[in-house]
Amino acid sequence: MSEFFNQYFNFNVMGEHFGDVFVAFLQNLLVFAVATALALLWGLALALLRQLPGRKLMPIRFLTITYIDVFRAVPILILILMISGGVPFLTFLPQEVRIPHWFGRPDPFWYGIAALVMVYGAFTAEVYRAGIEAVPRGQMEAARSLGMSHFQAMRHVVVPQGITKIPAPMLNELISLLKDTTLISVISLSEAVLVSREVLAERLNSSALTLTAIFFLVIILPLARVVDKLIERNQLKIARGSHIEVA
Amino acid sequence: MSKPWLTAFFAVFLVGVVSLVAAGCGGSSSSSSGETSAGGGGGGGGEPLTVGSDIPYPPFEQGKPGSYTGFDVELMEAIAEKIGRTAEFQDTSFETIFRDVGQGKFEAVISAATITAEREKEVAFSDPYYLSEQAILVKEGSEIKGIAELEGKVVGAQQGTTGLELGKEKANASELRPYPEGPDAINALKAGTVEAVIIDAPVAQNAVEEEGGVEIAEKVPTEESYGIAVAKDNTELLDEINQGLEEVIEDGSYTTIYQKWFHLEPPKQIVG
Repeated sequence: MSEFFNQYFNFNVMGEHFGDVFVAFLQNLLVFAVATALALLWGLALALLRQLPGRKLMPIRFLTITYIDVFRAVPILILILMISGGVPFLTFLPQEVRIPHWFGRPDPFWYGIAALVMVYGAFTAEVYRAGIEAVPRGQMEAARSLGMSHFQAMRHVVVPQGITKIPAPMLNELISLLKDTTLISVISLSEAVLVSREVLAERLNSSALTLTAIFFLVIILPLARVVDKLIERNQLKIARGSHIEVA
Repeated sequence: MSKPWLTAFFAVFLVGVVSLVAAGCGGSSSSSSGETSAGGGGGGGGEPLTVGSDIPYPPFEQGKPGSYTGFDVELMEAIAEKIGRTAEFQDTSFETIFRDVGQGKFEAVISAATITAEREKEVAFSDPYYLSEQAILVKEGSEIKGIAELEGKVVGAQQGTTGLELGKEKANASELRPYPEGPDAINALKAGTVEAVIIDAPVAQNAVEEEGGVEIAEKVPTEESYGIAVAKDNTELLDEINQGLEEVIEDGSYTTIYQKWFHLEPPKQIVG
């Protein structure tokens, strides 16, 4: 029992390596920020492609749905390994795309972000879709009857209403994304879990991992409360007789 | 769930998953027991000796569960036979391996593990069974000719290993990347995301022979040796292992195993 506490709650080890782990955790946050921005855009693009009308655009809808299904099913860890191990060999691509060092960040940083955006683009697309589909059909029909194109109606009428319904489920996806940034350690990005495991190798003590877990708790717990608040707000709206929202 | 067919689908799906899991468990347990009895026939019988090792790390440890092989594995099997037991290998992660043997998850560790003062605080090591060198592994035709030329380069190594330490101390690289497994680092070298890898010489040699496209730029002696680790208080097993190792060296089977895996004569410091 005391060995358990020493192994995971040794405050000396936590204190000595606090700086290292904290700097590494900032790397997680940076990956999270970049991946979130890109995944939200990519997800919206996918959701809109999926909603394209008409028989002629069926192949695009089909491809989009296939993409979303495939990337929701493939484990991110496998995708990260495949991208970092495979993309460098795609010799038809220019060197700076195969082994990217953009903005002074190492290639594992970008491989990891690519994998996260590919997967979370698919997940967020489904959240957007839920929001868009919860907007009553009449809204789209009314906009079209005013002479707007499908795209204009989406841009000015449907999407603005749709995204007001989804902050809570979207935040859940982003919390999950933040935690998945640790998976990039497997291709040697110096983020918090990798640095904690180096501390483990050096000190034969796992307390740095606990410290990393605490960092995540500190960031994510307030977010979880925000999700609760958002859901509560939505339910109040429903109780007041507004139309049903997604939460 | 208002749709009955959806309920039915989930029921079938769950039953399928459960039966697969059950079949999987049954299969693995029967195969492992089969392996044990086969090993028992060849060895001295006796109760199994559980051994932790971070597999793969060719040529020291490699192969699939149930049929692990390699220098460490064959040496450990030979030693176990001398002390009347049968070695049973468990694949585990290197960074936690000393903690786990200390906690008794397995009785011994043979995993190309260098004997260091730091590790000796946690576990007890046998007499050295292998003298280690680190190699600087580079792509074929690379301009890097040795550790002195790693300055400003991106260098890979395996997490928690001597190679990584050597990199920190002597390489002066622009970036030193710790990979979870040695082969990951070698793959990164072949992909071109790192320019050199610092890794145990036999592993580097194996990569050169088996995979190609890479070459050893320089071998760096480290005055280090590998030992078999046991829990600190398990002196009885440690004595048995040392005794077994001595017998294996004396009867020549050490030399046979060494030549088989490294294509080299074993060093005089060990075979005397």
